[in-house]
Amino acid sequence: MLEPGLSPYAPIVDRPVVRWPNNARVALWVAPNVEYMDFIPAPNDGKGGFFRNVYSRTPPPDVASFANQDYGNRVCLWRMLEVFDHHKIRCTVSLNEAILEHFPETKQALIDRDYDYMSHGIYNNRFLNLLSEDEERAFFKDCVDTLYEHTGKKLKGMLTPAVSPSARTHDLMAEAGLIYNADWGHDDQPFPMKVRKGRLLSMPYNLDLNDGTYSRFGCTPEYWAQCVKDQFDVMYEEGAENARQVCVSLHPSVMGHPSRIKYLDEVLGYMMGHEGVWQTTADDMAQYYMDNYYDIMVAHLEKHEYN
Amino acid sequence: MPAERKPGYDMPYYDWSPLPERPPLKWPNDARVALCVILSMDHYQWKPTNDFVNGGMPGSQPDWAYKAPESPGGVSGGGRPFPDVIGFSIREYGPRVGIFRVLKILDKYGITPTIAIDALTAENYPYVVRTLKERGCEFMAHGVAVNQLLTSKMTPDQERDYIRRSIDAVTQATGQAPKGWMGAEFGESAETAAILADEGVSYVCDWPNDDHPYPMNTPTGDLYSLPVNLTLVDLRSHWYGRIHVDTYAKMIMDSFDVVYREGADTGRMLVLNFQPWLMGTGFRSKYLDQALGHICRHGGIWKASAGEIVDYHRSLSATNA
Repeated sequence: MLEPGLSPYAPIVDRPVVRWPNNARVALWVAPNVEYMDFIPAPNDGKGGFFRNVYSRTPPPDVASFANQDYGNRVCLWRMLEVFDHHKIRCTVSLNEAILEHFPETKQALIDRDYDYMSHGIYNNRFLNLLSEDEERAFFKDCVDTLYEHTGKKLKGMLTPAVSPSARTHDLMAEAGLIYNADWGHDDQPFPMKVRKGRLLSMPYNLDLNDGTYSRFGCTPEYWAQCVKDQFDVMYEEGAENARQVCVSLHPSVMGHPSRIKYLDEVLGYMMGHEGVWQTTADDMAQYYMDNYYDIMVAHLEKHEYN
Repeated sequence: MPAERKPGYDMPYYDWSPLPERPPLKWPNDARVALCVILSMDHYQWKPTNDFVNGGMPGSQPDWAYKAPESPGGVSGGGRPFPDVIGFSIREYGPRVGIFRVLKILDKYGITPTIAIDALTAENYPYVVRTLKERGCEFMAHGVAVNQLLTSKMTPDQERDYIRRSIDAVTQATGQAPKGWMGAEFGESAETAAILADEGVSYVCDWPNDDHPYPMNTPTGDLYSLPVNLTLVDLRSHWYGRIHVDTYAKMIMDSFDVVYREGADTGRMLVLNFQPWLMGTGFRSKYLDQALGHICRHGGIWKASAGEIVDYHRSLSATNA
């Protein structure tokens, strides 16, 4: 297998068929990224990890960038929550867990809605992939403990901060009791990952159809909405034969912006208006797949030896 | 070396030849347009390697290693360190999912794609190679990996090793020596065309400068150029250029309409190159379907592989000579 050998290969056209509960064609998970970043990131001096310079416009701090992101937390998230509530969406919050400590009202709003939490690390500008193994292990303990302490929920999965796993991240996730990693944009279904001990799934988060990417590339809100609907249509059609998942990846400061919110409303209404949609969370989908398909897929992989 | 101010090019590989000055080109069955679809199967290495010859184990990046700065993934403006799971996993979508969706669309229109496959994909995805072989696809060598390009930073020996490594991997995987070459990200040095010809390569797709194939001038061998339409490469316009996918599809349809009209006087061609990891994603696949559907509604199209177009043109040149 190709380095790093973490994602066993099976072509999507030659896998055992996956069926969601009630024979739904598509599992729909909605993942707002509720994020916080250090106002002034630590310097990359080789001590204590590696920090993402999110301020490419000016030397740190770039207060406009900081504050625009903060607009998401202060204003836009609340606007998004109204839309989610309207469509009865139960979100998978991609959460920088420091939010739970910095902003108690945000924490309460998420708890009140019984959302699930996909950890997004503690702060979104602290990369994982240059940490030592011990530092990384301590990071996972922190993520598990912090979430439990604040929400009483057991951490099941993660989109690593700024999507920065090392080759050993997956082993350490499984060791910490997580059941999925969302970092891999490589598939339209969950799929088993290879870890040295235990079990872990890849739960592909949409890195590509991501509102953040779209706004950075100067795409219009209408175009984002059309792409998400097109994506849903194709997954819905294909999901009649073999179940698919659709991840709507969001950032409050982007799709919660007053110029864009109506398009979020439109796409959620469009998707929720279809029969055969399982609106769920990454946690529940991963657990369902783990309970019903993990063993089947692993046996399939062993039998076929695709690579 | 700066160009000398005299007629013709300051490089040896082909002659100046403006299209209207050429005799009319007749395709088989008087087709107006030869249509060729090339799918790129690329592997994005987890870490750049300094040992591509021996199979690509990770190591520090040598000074001649090269990845196009605009290529998705890798060290970004924000200083993203390797390993880069974003770049890796979006490419991996190609052999896992994207290629099969693209093939389904091509089937609808009776198009057999030509496959440009890099060494690491050829070696590590036997299921994909088998699937494509069973459909009668022609394979081209395509470098080693998309973040391990051939460039002028290599010595001539390194370059020849890289080319042989790329060709051998395709030969081993498919049981047949590839006739064509398309560099990963079209990477070449000033010597590449000569080396490719010397290594027995029949045609190269790295020079996107024409609506006709043409013979290249090399000290040894017999090399043809089959130009792709660079503006219509999905990676170029839609990904790097950020052109919306619906507009991108319209550009393909508009281009076809023009070469189809022009093809009444002298045969033209449309050589399209798609990345299955990109145009094979769910929402983009709709627009690929739309663009190819528009083209294939027309009569007078010769759907051919890259090698078929080159061989046909070569036979015409031989007849006229």
